[in-house]
Amino acid sequence: MSDTESSRVGNPVVLRMDGISKSFPGIRALITVDLEVRAGQVHAIVGENGAGKSTLMRILNGVYQPDEGKIELDGVVVRLTSPIEAKKHGIAMVYQELNLVPDLTVAENICLGATPAIGGFVRRGEQRAEAERVLSQLDAGVNPDDVVGTLSVSQQQIVEIAKAYRSQPRIVVLDEPTSSLSEHEVQAMFRLVRRLRDKGAAVIYISHRLREVLEIADQVTVLRDGRMIESRPIAGITTADMIRLMVGRELTDIFPKREVEIGDPVLKVSGLSRAGAFHDVEFEVRSGEILGMAGLVGAGRTEVARAIFGLDRSDSGTVTLDGQERTIQSPAEAVRTGIAYVPEDRKRDGLVQQMSIRDNITLAILPSLASAGWIRAGEQQRLAVEKATAMTVNPPVVDRNVDTLSGGNQQKVVLAKWLATKPRVLILDEPTRGVDVGAKSDIHHIIGDFVAQGTAVILISSELPEVIAVSDRILVLHEGAISAVLPRGSSEQDVMRAATGEVEQ
Amino acid sequence: MTQTTSSQAESRVMVQNRFSNVLQWIAVPAGTVVLIVAGSLLSPKFLTMSNATNVLINMSISGIIVVGMTFVFITRGMADLSVPATAAIGGILALGLGPALGTLPAALVGILAATAAGCVNGLLIGYARVNPVITTLAVGTIVLGTAQAFVGGVIVYGQDPQIKEFLTSRLFGVVPVIVLVFAAFAVAGHLLLSRTVLGRWSYAVGSNPDAAQASAVPVRRTKAAAFALTGGLAGLSGVLLGLTLQTARPAIGTGYEFNAITAVVVGGVSLLGGSGSVPRAMAGLLFVQVLTNIMVLQGVPTEPQGLAKGLLIAGAVALDVWLRNRGGAK
Amino acid sequence: MNALRKIGDSSWFVELVRVRVLVILLATVVVASVTVQGFMDPGTIGLSLDRMSTIGLIAVGLTVLLIAGQLDLSGGAVLALAGIVTISLQASLGPGVAAAVGVLVGVVTGSLNGLLVVVLKINSLVATLASMLMVRAICHWATDSHPISGKDPFFGLFVSTALIGPLTFRTVLFGIAILLLWVWLSRTVSGRNLYAVGSNAVSATASGVRSNLYLFGGFVFASVMAAVAGTVQSLAVNTGSPAFGQTIVMTTIAAVVIGGTRLEGGRGSALGTLGGLLTIAFLVTAMEYQNVPAYVQDIVTGAILLLLIILDSAVSGKNHNLLTIAALKRRLGRNQTPPEGITQ
Repeated sequence: MSDTESSRVGNPVVLRMDGISKSFPGIRALITVDLEVRAGQVHAIVGENGAGKSTLMRILNGVYQPDEGKIELDGVVVRLTSPIEAKKHGIAMVYQELNLVPDLTVAENICLGATPAIGGFVRRGEQRAEAERVLSQLDAGVNPDDVVGTLSVSQQQIVEIAKAYRSQPRIVVLDEPTSSLSEHEVQAMFRLVRRLRDKGAAVIYISHRLREVLEIADQVTVLRDGRMIESRPIAGITTADMIRLMVGRELTDIFPKREVEIGDPVLKVSGLSRAGAFHDVEFEVRSGEILGMAGLVGAGRTEVARAIFGLDRSDSGTVTLDGQERTIQSPAEAVRTGIAYVPEDRKRDGLVQQMSIRDNITLAILPSLASAGWIRAGEQQRLAVEKATAMTVNPPVVDRNVDTLSGGNQQKVVLAKWLATKPRVLILDEPTRGVDVGAKSDIHHIIGDFVAQGTAVILISSELPEVIAVSDRILVLHEGAISAVLPRGSSEQDVMRAATGEVEQ
Repeated sequence: MTQTTSSQAESRVMVQNRFSNVLQWIAVPAGTVVLIVAGSLLSPKFLTMSNATNVLINMSISGIIVVGMTFVFITRGMADLSVPATAAIGGILALGLGPALGTLPAALVGILAATAAGCVNGLLIGYARVNPVITTLAVGTIVLGTAQAFVGGVIVYGQDPQIKEFLTSRLFGVVPVIVLVFAAFAVAGHLLLSRTVLGRWSYAVGSNPDAAQASAVPVRRTKAAAFALTGGLAGLSGVLLGLTLQTARPAIGTGYEFNAITAVVVGGVSLLGGSGSVPRAMAGLLFVQVLTNIMVLQGVPTEPQGLAKGLLIAGAVALDVWLRNRGGAK
Repeated sequence: MNALRKIGDSSWFVELVRVRVLVILLATVVVASVTVQGFMDPGTIGLSLDRMSTIGLIAVGLTVLLIAGQLDLSGGAVLALAGIVTISLQASLGPGVAAAVGVLVGVVTGSLNGLLVVVLKINSLVATLASMLMVRAICHWATDSHPISGKDPFFGLFVSTALIGPLTFRTVLFGIAILLLWVWLSRTVSGRNLYAVGSNAVSATASGVRSNLYLFGGFVFASVMAAVAGTVQSLAVNTGSPAFGQTIVMTTIAAVVIGGTRLEGGRGSALGTLGGLLTIAFLVTAMEYQNVPAYVQDIVTGAILLLLIILDSAVSGKNHNLLTIAALKRRLGRNQTPPEGITQ
């Protein structure tokens, strides 16, 4: 660490969030969280999904109000009651979903809301000059006259940051800025972030990509389950340390592993590719086996799963089930073939919130419960109750709406739905995310039931202890390609190294 | 994230939910009862058998279309504005081809043509994902133009007074046949929506198309089906109207799309999809028809009725939006 | 759809669609001048343009509203009402003032629409449907369902008489309107902000644009333009009728959409609208000269509209139809819900 870097640790504190707590019905999102951010620093915030990062940032941005605690800017206590208030105080948020207007030019987007004008008419020359000024300060390679809709995602992100920067913010919050960028574009983004920092802004950097955090951040804060676990300079910390802090649970039998005899290959995937998402993916899963799929967020695991399941297309590759090659172009075909997919985004892809538990459980197999389209209600009810009980959904009253259930129970309903399809291959995408400890254990018992019946299971998970505890083999993806196939008994270090691309193929 | 139940907050949310749910269910039937009471007080002719039958007959033609529109709303298809055209083509073909093919076959042809138009809507909206408003408007225009071309710009006269007699005759001296036809389709529509695979799929697609897709539901087919169905039903009501009046002209279906949307909206079926039912739409239809009837009996000229209808739609939707926000039912 | 998408990805096709307004307009002009004798005569063209101008005035208002992401179905009813008011008040207020009051009708109806959509947060399709019914009802009620004639048949003659060359007063009025629209949309701050509002009203507000004001203003403007069209129309024929403007909304939407304005908001232009209007105008004139009956004209217009929309869909592909309903849901409000799964 150079002298300039070490001196940053002593920079003036720009933001102090003290004892921030926030609850929503049924969930305590933040519990007395402290955060101290200094000027001219890149301060990373890391944590699992649901740890509270986005809630904390929304409070900073004035979208939510904290139940307890206070916020100090430059030592002065402030109340941030709306995003506009936050902006006035010099806080700029750059979200993952871009807020640009695709049909306007870069210059117009940058100047939106404060356009140089005379008598209502745009002063185009000045607007362009202003945009150029901001862009050059950030050393960004974007043309102010281009229409934003024609730019690449990375260029659009740069425009978004330039727009935020124009108001000379004291604090810039970047939310997963590199999740859609290529390696080359990530370096360009880093240059931009360093410029921001060198200009004196405090940059809050939220990311899952721990290796990048190591590269770009000066300070890192780890959140877990709504609490601030540790905040320290980046010097001397490793990704393994961060992971340990992020996950930090006692692993006593949360992840029970059912010992089962592993049979013949059920699913074989080979040469699976889609431009921009994954390439040359090849693997096989056997009956009774749990194949873990690990990798950083954005490595392509979900994309591969969705392609196998027919939800998204693939450019090339073959899928073979029980020795027979299959073309699967829709989820309906996948279900017919015997493949089931429990999606990553439960709310969006997993459940129909306005329907009952019973309807959700039977949704994927309705045609089999009907004669000439007419649903055999008694059979449907019986099946739903049976599956709900088997999944230990609590309470197993299937007439109620799913949205009355807790997160863990909702996930069980999703599992029940797929259990009902009697799959040969079960793909689980982050099945225990956002689920309490008790339910996690239940879910893994259920997975054990599946494998005991000979199902081949693919388990996608970002929770390393989980992957390591239950997988028979671990497939690690890195930037859309398989970087390693690790045997049972591998360590978290082994997996993380493969996930961050530090292993040779 | 720890999930300790903040029981106070949660129970508050649940009470709000229950309150809005109850309100949603009670509002329209209660309103109708109020109207009936008011109507009987305002006019001695209101509570008579003949008046009631009149209301029912008027309801029948609109009602068949309302069944279809309910499907469209529930699958989040927004609205089907081609209904006047598909109704017209049904009526015109039924009467125009009557002499050549016989009444019933001609009626069938009319319904088939209307269904074909509905299928075109369905293909464009469900599969090509074109905006439903523009699609149904454009297809409607084309179909209406075709209807007019077929007819050569004149009124078509029917040549089968017997079918008119039949449709307006009363079963057991009480209920007109046409009302029975409507009732049959209303019941069939309700059963389709509530007890069949297609019905469940429709709710799923309208409520959460992503989850439906990921659950092996044929989303595009389901959306297309709603429009094909509506086309056919509109054709049927056009046929019934034509046979009953024994005349048909291209303008025969004018206004029926707005009537149907009014009924559905007043009945509490949400434009956002995924909720509502045929009975609720029928309740809305009944309410509007009773209101119209009262105004007619009071001698209110036709068009302030339009005023009332407009106010109704606005009021009903505003109420729905308000209830959704309060009850957190999203 | 896959094959269509493949064609849609090829660049020459995309370029063609982008300039499709020009292409269609040219095609129409060529076909028309070939099939119709005397099509290119200034007199014929002048007549074409005059008739188009009524739709044109409404289209100017509708373009603004569509860019803002909203729909307005009440234009035809407002047109009728404005005309009725203009004619019926001629006796008491004098024709000039009466005409002014007719235009003011648009302010009232536009404010009603704005109230329903912006304040009560009702979807614009349903809201303007409701207001259309109400306004149409008022038309019938005020006239007892009969057309009414004005006291002064000569006052309104100037509307359809040639003013500049073959162009009538009405055409010139429209010309000014579309020119002003072009300037406003491309050169002024508020015009450029409109695109932001239509693209994503919430983030526009976060950037400091007062989206609600723009939306409300958009409804008022669209209604006022419809009122102007109605006033001028009624003066021209010295009649106010509750039956005017029945099908005009459909034609106007067709013209605007042919001109490249999307229903979902965030895209559109004055030139595009002009192109769409001219296309329809020439098409209709050509068909009339060939004695093509009205209903066939409808078929042709509808078919062209449909074709263009399908083309649009094929070319822009993903999320082009991020349904207005999804946007409506976003607009319905940000309650305090747990942020599970929003950011990882």
